[in-house]
Amino acid sequence: MARPADRFPASTAKSAFPYLLAVAFALTFALSLRAAQVDPRLLFDAQALGNVARFVRGALPPKLDPEFLGMLARPAAETIQISVMGMVIAVLLGAPLGLLATSSLTWRGILHERVTRRARLMLGAAPYGAARALLSVFRSIPEYVWALMFVRAVGLGPFPGVLAIGVAYGGMLGKVYSEILEAVNPRPLETLHAAGAGKAGVVLYGLLPEALPHVVSYTLYRWECAIRASAILGFVGAGGLGQQIELSMRMFQFDEVLTLLAVLLLLVGTVDFISGRIRARVVR
Amino acid sequence: MYELRDVRKVFDDGSVALDGMSLTVGAGEHVAFIGPSGAGKTTLFRILNLTLRPTSGMLRLNGTDVATLSGADLRRARTSIGTIYQQHNLVGRLRVVHNVLAGNLGRWSTLTALGSLLRPRATDEAARALAQVGIPEKLYARTDELSGGQQQRVAIARVLIQDPDVVLADEPVSSVDPTLAVSIVTLLRDISNESRKTLLMNLHSVELALTYFPRILGIREGRVHFDLSPDKVSPEMLEELYAGHGDERGELAALGEGTNSFGKACRPLPGFDR
Amino acid sequence: MSAVALSRRRWSPWLIVAGLGALVGWSYHGTRVDMGALLSVEGLRQIGVYVARLFPPDLSAGALRDAAIAAVETFAISLVGSVLAACIAFPLALGATRTILYHGVLYEGQRLGRAPKALRLGVYAASKTVLAVLRTVPEIVWALIFVFVVGLGPFPGVLALGVHTGGVLGKLFGEVLEDVDPRPLEALQSTGASRLRIVLYGILPQAIPQFVSYALYRWEVNIRAAAILGLVGAGGLGQRVYVAISLFLEHQLLTLILAIYVMVTLVDALSAWLRARVL
Repeated sequence: MARPADRFPASTAKSAFPYLLAVAFALTFALSLRAAQVDPRLLFDAQALGNVARFVRGALPPKLDPEFLGMLARPAAETIQISVMGMVIAVLLGAPLGLLATSSLTWRGILHERVTRRARLMLGAAPYGAARALLSVFRSIPEYVWALMFVRAVGLGPFPGVLAIGVAYGGMLGKVYSEILEAVNPRPLETLHAAGAGKAGVVLYGLLPEALPHVVSYTLYRWECAIRASAILGFVGAGGLGQQIELSMRMFQFDEVLTLLAVLLLLVGTVDFISGRIRARVVR
Repeated sequence: MYELRDVRKVFDDGSVALDGMSLTVGAGEHVAFIGPSGAGKTTLFRILNLTLRPTSGMLRLNGTDVATLSGADLRRARTSIGTIYQQHNLVGRLRVVHNVLAGNLGRWSTLTALGSLLRPRATDEAARALAQVGIPEKLYARTDELSGGQQQRVAIARVLIQDPDVVLADEPVSSVDPTLAVSIVTLLRDISNESRKTLLMNLHSVELALTYFPRILGIREGRVHFDLSPDKVSPEMLEELYAGHGDERGELAALGEGTNSFGKACRPLPGFDR
Repeated sequence: MSAVALSRRRWSPWLIVAGLGALVGWSYHGTRVDMGALLSVEGLRQIGVYVARLFPPDLSAGALRDAAIAAVETFAISLVGSVLAACIAFPLALGATRTILYHGVLYEGQRLGRAPKALRLGVYAASKTVLAVLRTVPEIVWALIFVFVVGLGPFPGVLALGVHTGGVLGKLFGEVLEDVDPRPLEALQSTGASRLRIVLYGILPQAIPQFVSYALYRWEVNIRAAAILGLVGAGGLGQRVYVAISLFLEHQLLTLILAIYVMVTLVDALSAWLRARVL
């Protein structure tokens, strides 16, 4: 029996959830302020202001002599190359793992109605679970940790940077690929399957045509991120512009830093533009 | 109340929406505007509620020229005009009480307005307005959870809070079902009668206009085509008003037979029983 | 806008494929990628040896405490940094929204004078420029700069995340503000409400849920970034990872990696849950 007051829950019932959330947030935030040693006064004391002035005076005007600019060509190119090769490896890793991590392909749904439960679990669910776990590990460890480890394994230079981006972004691509594939309308797949197509046939003729624009678009978007990551990886010895930025920063050559940032901006802008044009072409 | 002479509105793309519109509306009058889509009715209403400024011509409200007002004067003039739109004129994420109290925004200070968002003030006022439009229980409901008809009632409640001298209703019932349309039109009429407000309504349905309004303005191609009481409006005039707009004429044919989209709520209209 | 897009010639697919192919070839050559060596018996053996050396993770009380302290610090940096970012982004986003400053339905009824219009255009351009500068400098470079300004520790990390993410969020917030449904705004304006009050009752209620959603999404990004910033001396797990690798403390390294994994997964789940509640 509903009491009259229950008849209009929206008008009377006030959920405590927002208040609890606000309190929890305020508490966490207050504790975080302490843990992060936030102290705004540090920003405005004489020394900090002096440092800011030093930085600005040092950075202006940016260093533009031809010799320095010539020296930048190689690391700039390397930054792009690392991002491109990193993406190649990421796709090579992410695509097969992504397919395995797609439940509608491996063990759930209409493609598996007639397979025994046992076979489904052994041949489908087990590789599915393994692929998901692997992808999760790949993407949850930041690319710079991968880079540090690969520098250990294969030495300094662009190669560990390529591998780091490949593994970390492979994990992200694989996850998103599987999400895209899961979202594909299953009806056409059912028809293909009923017509006797095998798994490969279903993937090629049913899944890929539907999913490909999204897959390509997301991959290109990730490339835009990879160029930024590739610039950062230089900080751990994996080549590219980052190494130069760190070097100049450590030597207090702020005019060089400004030039390097401008070059980085140019690279990122170019890649964004190219990728954006291709994406517009793919997804109409 | 309103006095328009030779009002023209030309948009930036060169299209002429109003082409020399002249009309006068007295205080407390109820007027329905009908005409084919694209005739300029909505543009006219947006000029009447001072959202758009006319390209040329004279626009007077209570004797003062309001065509070129700006700043605080413009806002003050707007507080005396309440508008109800076809739909989508409420903020769905806000609770009903805030959407209703928004009628106060022309009077409230910004600080008061901000405070009321955190802790609604004048809730009994809002509750009274909602009771007047028949949905008192929705005071604290989220607006986007209401049906189209209920949302339109919330919009009317906001106008009640605003308490303007004129109510402009631009196609207020085009997106609700026919029986609801009748109840919303009569609600607006009754509310305006009670507090002696002027009511101007833009109607897609000729039928509602002829049934509930003492004065009908036919608008075509940005001009006043006729300005008559409903018993003087003949089928031929309507034919002419809607000439070239096939689908809208289909509705007219139905009018003559007395079988119409509003069912028994409406009698066959005078002049149509051939 | 659409007319411009239509008139621009689209790139042919073959040109794209050929271009990408050339780009990959050039990159393969330039990065000296040696997949053969990596995937050879010897290469794989070396990776195996390295991975094996990581195990087992160091689960001694000291190492766990160390990792926990660093993880809390990283969490704190990401949270405070994200909140700071939202605080920086909000006013700049208002300044970077044409529909609030000089354009659209709120300005149809009256003309702005020349001087006010120029002032507003200036505010718009300045906000846009500041946002662009904030977000194009990577957070790790900001971290280097702030370490230089205020010294080592987590605080420069907070500032770096706040400033960079502030630029990113400011752009996103501005897009949200320009995209709100203008019809309720017109209705509010017709009651005689001033623009500030229209922002309060019409624009912000529509935009804020999206703001929160974007801020949570950037928090997920920032928990990862906060783990990086330690590399340049800005506190948190990154600093410990760097030390562990430099000193060949492999077991501790694995503990720290696990800590990062847990933190990232936790924040992702929390943020996803909160976003589902907000939208």
